[in-house]
Amino acid sequence: MAKDSDRRDLFPGALELMILQSLRFRPMHGYALVKHIKQVSGDLLQVEEGSLYPALQRLLREGLLESEAGTSAKGRPTRIYRVTTPGLSHLEQEVSSFEKMFAGITRVLAVAKA
Amino acid sequence: MSFFSKLFRRRRYDDLNVSIREHIAERADELMADGMPRAEAEQTARREFGNVTLIEQKSREAWQWPKAESVGADIRFALRQLIKSPGFTVTAVVTLSLGIAVNATMFSMVSAFLLPHLPGRDPQSMVVVSSVDPDRQFQPDANPVSAPNYFAWGKQTRVFSAMAAADEYRTGSLSGKGQQPEAIPYAAVSPNYLSVFGVSPARGRDFLVGEDQPGRDHVVILSHGLWERRFGSDPSVVGRVVRLNREDYVVAGVMPADFRLLGFTPQLWTPLTLTAADATADARKNRFLDLFARLAPGVTLQQVRAHMNLLAQQAQQDFPAIEGHWGASVRMLPDFLQYNFGIRTALAVMMTVVGFVLLIACANVAGLLLTRAVGRQKELAIRMSLGATRVRVVRQLLTEGVVIALLGGGVGLFLAYMGIRVVQAGLSFNDAIADVKISLDSNVLIFAAVVSLVSAILSSVAPALKASRTEINTDLKSEGRGASSGRAHNRMRVFLVGGEIALALFLLIGSCLLIRGVYLLDHQKLGFNHDHLLTAGLVLDQARYADSPKQIQFVRGLVEQTRQIPGVEQTAVASDLPASGLSSVVFHIKGQPEARANEQKTTADAVVTPEYFQVAGVPLLHGRGFTERDDSAAPRVVLVNQEFVHKYFQDRDPLGKQVQLDTPGSPAAWSEIVGVVSDVKSYSEDPRIEPEVYEAYLQRPVASISLMLRSTVEPKSLAASLRQLIARIDPELPLLRVMSMDDVIEVQRNGNPLFTKLLGAFAVLALILSAIGIYGLIAYSVGQRTHEIGIRLALGAKASDISRMILREGLKVAGIGSAIGFALALPLPKLFESLFQGLILSAPGVYPLVVVVMLIVAFCATFGPAQRATHVDPTSALRNE
Repeated sequence: MAKDSDRRDLFPGALELMILQSLRFRPMHGYALVKHIKQVSGDLLQVEEGSLYPALQRLLREGLLESEAGTSAKGRPTRIYRVTTPGLSHLEQEVSSFEKMFAGITRVLAVAKA
Repeated sequence: MSFFSKLFRRRRYDDLNVSIREHIAERADELMADGMPRAEAEQTARREFGNVTLIEQKSREAWQWPKAESVGADIRFALRQLIKSPGFTVTAVVTLSLGIAVNATMFSMVSAFLLPHLPGRDPQSMVVVSSVDPDRQFQPDANPVSAPNYFAWGKQTRVFSAMAAADEYRTGSLSGKGQQPEAIPYAAVSPNYLSVFGVSPARGRDFLVGEDQPGRDHVVILSHGLWERRFGSDPSVVGRVVRLNREDYVVAGVMPADFRLLGFTPQLWTPLTLTAADATADARKNRFLDLFARLAPGVTLQQVRAHMNLLAQQAQQDFPAIEGHWGASVRMLPDFLQYNFGIRTALAVMMTVVGFVLLIACANVAGLLLTRAVGRQKELAIRMSLGATRVRVVRQLLTEGVVIALLGGGVGLFLAYMGIRVVQAGLSFNDAIADVKISLDSNVLIFAAVVSLVSAILSSVAPALKASRTEINTDLKSEGRGASSGRAHNRMRVFLVGGEIALALFLLIGSCLLIRGVYLLDHQKLGFNHDHLLTAGLVLDQARYADSPKQIQFVRGLVEQTRQIPGVEQTAVASDLPASGLSSVVFHIKGQPEARANEQKTTADAVVTPEYFQVAGVPLLHGRGFTERDDSAAPRVVLVNQEFVHKYFQDRDPLGKQVQLDTPGSPAAWSEIVGVVSDVKSYSEDPRIEPEVYEAYLQRPVASISLMLRSTVEPKSLAASLRQLIARIDPELPLLRVMSMDDVIEVQRNGNPLFTKLLGAFAVLALILSAIGIYGLIAYSVGQRTHEIGIRLALGAKASDISRMILREGLKVAGIGSAIGFALALPLPKLFESLFQGLILSAPGVYPLVVVVMLIVAFCATFGPAQRATHVDPTSALRNE
C-alpha cells in the first residue's frame, strides 16, 4: 500500500508543492484539500490520505505551514492549514525550479520525437 | 519551528486525531448524501481512508527524532517484560549489580590514587630525578639524591628548565605558648620549589631567592591542613612567629588545600640550606634529596634519561668508592608519585579480580537470558511471522539486556557508594593513604556506565543473536515433542557455565595463594619478643642536643628515669625499632681484599643502648653484649647477627675481627666484633633476614631515636606516664608514635589486612556466582528434560538413577571447568612472585584443595535440581504436553 502511493507521487516534493499551491489562496482542512486537488486536476490526481497527512506534518515541522483550530463546513472541529511566509517563498522557489525542470524535460522529449 | 513547540508534540498528535476524525466523518456524510445508509457509509469512509493507526504513526514520524521514540517503545516494552517476570529480573539485576559494584568500588581507588589531580602548571612536563641502587630489592630506582649530585645535575639547563630539591621526610617539633609540643613531618625545599611546580601560596608569599642562606632561612610556609588544625584557619597568621625545633620562624605563607603530592605529606615547608660541607665528596654518601625538575621545552623523557645516565657514569668514574654502582633514573612526576606510593600492583591485581567477577556475573546473566529466550521462542516466532525483521528482534532483545545492565548499574552504584565507605575506613593505615579521599567521582560514574554497557553487550549479544535465528515454521509447529529437547540450546549454556567455573577456580586459587602468603607473613617468627613493649620516637633537635655528649647524656637520663615508671621492667633506646626496616651501609672487613665498586659489602645497621637485647628479647649467642663501659673513650665494638656471620664469614667465628662502616656523617673507624646475636626479621611484613651490625649508642649517638619500654602491664597503659616524664625532662620535645610494639607491627602490615579481606570477599563472591550459574544450568536442564525423565521413570529407572544422572551432568561441567581453571592457575605463583616481593607463594597443596571445594559447591548446587528430578511424576510428565 505504501509503495503504491509512493509511485503515484510524480517526483519527490510534488505532493508538497500541490499542497502549498492549493493552500496559498485559501486555508483549508484536510478533507477539503483532498477534494480541491481532485477537482482542480479534473480527477487526474487522487491524493492518498496515507501520503497527505504525513506530508502535512512534514510541512508543519519545517514551518512552511501552520495550523489552527477551526470548524469544517458541517461545523465539526478540525484543523485548518495555512501557508506561512517561509512557505510562500519556498513555494515560489520550488515552482520556478519545477518550471525549469519541466521545460528541460519538454525539450528533451521534443528532440526525442524528432 | 521553535524548540518549545517540539516539547508539546503530544498536542500535535491530538490535532492529527481531530483532523482525521473529521476527514472520515465528512467523507461518510458525503456518501450518505449519495444515498448510502449511515452504517455502510461510515464503514466505507473508514476503509477508503486506510489504516488510521498506521497513517497516524507515519505522520508522527515526521516529528520524531530519528528512531528515538521507537527505541523508547522498545525500552517500555522491555520494562513491561521484565516486570512480568520478577524472579528473572531480580536475579539478573542483583547478579550484575554485584559485579558492577565491586568494579566501581575498586575503580574509585584507581581514580583516587592513579588519576590524581596534580597541582601546578602542566604537571606533564615535570620529572623526578632519583638515584638507582641496584642492590635494593624494593624500588631500587627511586632513591633520593645526594647534595653534590643535586648541584651538578641542577645545572643541566639543556634538559631541565628548572630544578628544585626537597628533603621530604624531616620530623620537627612544633611548639608554642600553652600548646603541647607536636612532632610534625615537614620538608626542607630549595626556595624555587613552589615556582618549579607553578604553584603559589594561597596566603602570604613564596620563599625568596636567598632564603636558603643561613641566617635568612627561618621562614616557613604552612600546609592548609596544619593552618586549619593548629592555627584555627587564622587569616592573620602570615608574619607571625612560630617555634619549630626550638627556634623562631616567621610564617611566610599558607599553601592552598589542593597542593598534595600523593605520598609526600609534609605539614610545612622550610628553605633547604646547603653549606660547603654538602659539596664535599663525603656528602655524596648522604642521599636525602628528591629532585623535581621541569623539562626544557622540546626535550623528551628519553633524551633526559640518556643525559642523566651519562652524568651518573661520570660520577661513578670520578668517585668510584662512593658512587660505585649508583645510577640515575628519571620518571615523569605522576609516574614517580604512583610508583613511589607502591599501590599499583595491588590495584592492578584487584582490578583483574573484579574484572573476572564481572565476567562471571555476565556469564550468569547471559545464561539467564538464554533460558528466557528459549522460553520466548514462540513469541519471537510469532513476531517474526508478523513481519518483524531479524534486526528488529535482536534490537528488542538487546534493549532488554541494556535495561537489565542499566538497572544493575544503578543498584551497583548504590552498593559501590557503600563499598567505598567500607574501603575508605580500611584505608587509614598511614597518613598518606588516609589523606587520599575516595569518592564516587565523575571518573567512577563514567567507568560504571561503561562497565554496565559492556556487560549488557557481553551478556545479551549471544542470546539475542541465537534467539533471533528462530526458525518460524519449526518453532510454531513444534510443541516441544522431542523427548530430550534443548540439547543444542544447552550447548552454549554449558560453555558459559564451564567458563564461569574455570574463572572462579582461577580466582579462588590466586586468592588463596595470596591470602596464604600474607597469613604466613603475619604469623612469622620475628626473632624478638614483641608483646609487652611500649615504643615511642624522639628526635633530638640541633638546637638543644647539638653534640654527641648532650645526646648521650639525654639518652642515659631517659633510660634511667623511664625505668622508674611503675610497671616498667627495663628500657632501651635504639636508632630504629626491631623489624621495622634499617638503613643499609657499606662496610669493610679488615684483612679481606677490598671488593670492586659494584660488589661492595652492605649490611643493615642499628645503634642501640646496652639494654636493647634484653628489652627486645634477642638472645646473645656468642661473645658478649654491650656494657656501659663501651663508651666514646673505649675502643669501638660492634655486635653482628647470624646472617652476617653466615654471609660474610661463611659461618666461621667472627669474634675479634675488625669491621669499618661507611656511615654518612661520622668519621671512619675500625670496630671489633665482640658478640653474635640471633637473627631478627628485617621487616615484620617480609620474610627477609639481612646481615645486621649493632653499634653502641654511647660510641655513636644519633639524633633520631626510638624508645622501648619492657613492661609487666598492658604497655599502652604506660603511655600517659611516659608523656608526663618527657614533658618534665624537656617540655619542648615532642613524643612521636607512642604505641605498643604489637601496634607498630599491625601498622606495618599496611594495606595487607584490607587487601586480603577484599581479595577473600571477591573470591567468595566469584564462588557464589558460579554456584548460582551451575544451579541455574542444571535446574533449567531438569525442567527441559522432564519429559525424558518421565519416560525413563515409566520404563523403570529408579529415582537414584535419575538423580545420579543429573548430578553427573552437573559435575561433568564443573569438572571440565575446574580442569581448565586449574591449568590456567598453574603459572600464578611465578606471576605473583614477580609482583609481590617477600611473599611465600609456592603452595601446591592449595590447588587440589580449591578444586575439591569447587566440586563440593558444584555438587551442592546440583543436588537440589537432581532431587527435584526424582520427584517427576511419569504420568503427568508424559501427559503434560
